[in-house]
Amino acid sequence: MRSSTKPSYAREVFDTREILANLTMRETRGQYRRTALGQLWSVLNPLATMLVYTVVFAFILKALPPPGDPSGLEIYALWLMSGMLPWLFFVRVVTGGLSSIVTNASLITKVYFPRIHLPLSVTLATGITWAIELGVLTLALLLFGGSPLPWLPLVVLAMVFLALFATGLALLLGVANVYFRDTEHFVAIVLPMWMFLTPVIYPIQLVEDLAQRSGEWIIVLYRLNPMERFLAVFRDLLYDNRLPQWTDSLACVLASLIVFSVGYLVFVRKESRLAELL
Amino acid sequence: MSETALTIDDVSKKFRLYHERNQTLKAAVMRGRRVVAEEFWALRNITFEVKTGETFGLIGANGSGKSSLLKILARILVPDGGRVHATGRVSSMLEVGSGFHPELTGRENIFLNGAILGLKKRQIVALFDEIVEFSGVENFLDQPVKNYSSGMYVRLGFAIAIHTSPDILIVDEILAVGDGSFQEKSKAKFRELTRQGSTVVMVSHSLPQVREMCDRVAWIDAGRLRGVGTAARVTRDYEKDWERGEQA
Repeated sequence: MRSSTKPSYAREVFDTREILANLTMRETRGQYRRTALGQLWSVLNPLATMLVYTVVFAFILKALPPPGDPSGLEIYALWLMSGMLPWLFFVRVVTGGLSSIVTNASLITKVYFPRIHLPLSVTLATGITWAIELGVLTLALLLFGGSPLPWLPLVVLAMVFLALFATGLALLLGVANVYFRDTEHFVAIVLPMWMFLTPVIYPIQLVEDLAQRSGEWIIVLYRLNPMERFLAVFRDLLYDNRLPQWTDSLACVLASLIVFSVGYLVFVRKESRLAELL
Repeated sequence: MSETALTIDDVSKKFRLYHERNQTLKAAVMRGRRVVAEEFWALRNITFEVKTGETFGLIGANGSGKSSLLKILARILVPDGGRVHATGRVSSMLEVGSGFHPELTGRENIFLNGAILGLKKRQIVALFDEIVEFSGVENFLDQPVKNYSSGMYVRLGFAIAIHTSPDILIVDEILAVGDGSFQEKSKAKFRELTRQGSTVVMVSHSLPQVREMCDRVAWIDAGRLRGVGTAARVTRDYEKDWERGEQA
């Protein structure tokens, strides 16, 4: 029983994919039950965020990004959402996935199934929400003169890698959270900080200016953040309508493959002990 | 009848008892590398076999380790020593309805729970009417299960679990579920399962029930195997031991 090797675990996960589909359904349907607006909330939430940041950053602080090249778009709200939607996806997958093990303790201690389905179902359910949001954003971009449609396949591909990156982190932190429940509180503090260290709501030009004045190392350090690379890719595709820089794309692919592999290996190693630790 | 469904080979299980709830980072840092956990062997060198098609009971006092053993058989816990070999698909009912989502309807939960217990969607579709009929909740199928009475809740959970027809079914105190007529129906369903070649392993505190339902029984006492044999003989030994304990 204990000698189950890794390929056979992946196989078991695949064989029980029906569980994943049902857990995903549970996530998406259960979330907005008994709300008048239902799934609409998943669009309203980012819209409200967009309003707040647009007022603060476009009108009060005037931290405006350069116009889209070659799209010619010059609308802060659309620029913001091109980066904010992937960021929100990342945050939801990490926080939801990391707590999914502890939240489903009653299930884990009562039935055997590959536990990885729990964080994976969070990723898939969040992916569905993201797809709806992306649909709305695409419409808005079209309305204001952008041409995001030919780039959508690449957007989806970038999303797959972002999903791997976020899920890998969720797997790692989900296991850590079983040992130390501090993890989820800690992550709740770190994620907003991470957001402000990533050019989600302000353009990276501000940091580049700062680096020119105070030292190159600032931007070098700043760009070590994989999320900065991911947002650059998403904005190139959606807002500017151009191919991302290959260095950014490579950084995204490497970061996601490394983080997911580490998360997966740690999870598989610790999985069989989760029931007694909960 | 003589084939082996489950081989429990020298199984041991160790738990770590912490003297404080130290699942915080602070506690871990303060503790440094010192280990303040005390080891406790819940099970020691358990070996027996369960034959295909039999109903096998596990008996023992509270805290004897029989539930840990059951969880090892259900693959929820991993043994620290020895191994368990199962022939066929194992399904467990340690608590019925534990996978229910309260906001989802009875219908949606049948599909959710069926999948968790290892059924494919088309199998659930095929069994759907039978499950609903057995549980007797047809009028409430499209209500969220949180509105169910506790009886309806467990009956639906039980109905799903029993209809998954696994090769080996692991059951914990499950027959305490529902009213008298539902219990009779459940027992009949168990007999039908074993007639079809499934194996049932159950924990029960009710000795009359064990004698009525089980072919063979294992008696676990303080983590060790005290006896394996026919239900009549082992339950009698267990009762004698218990009476001796009373007198002493």
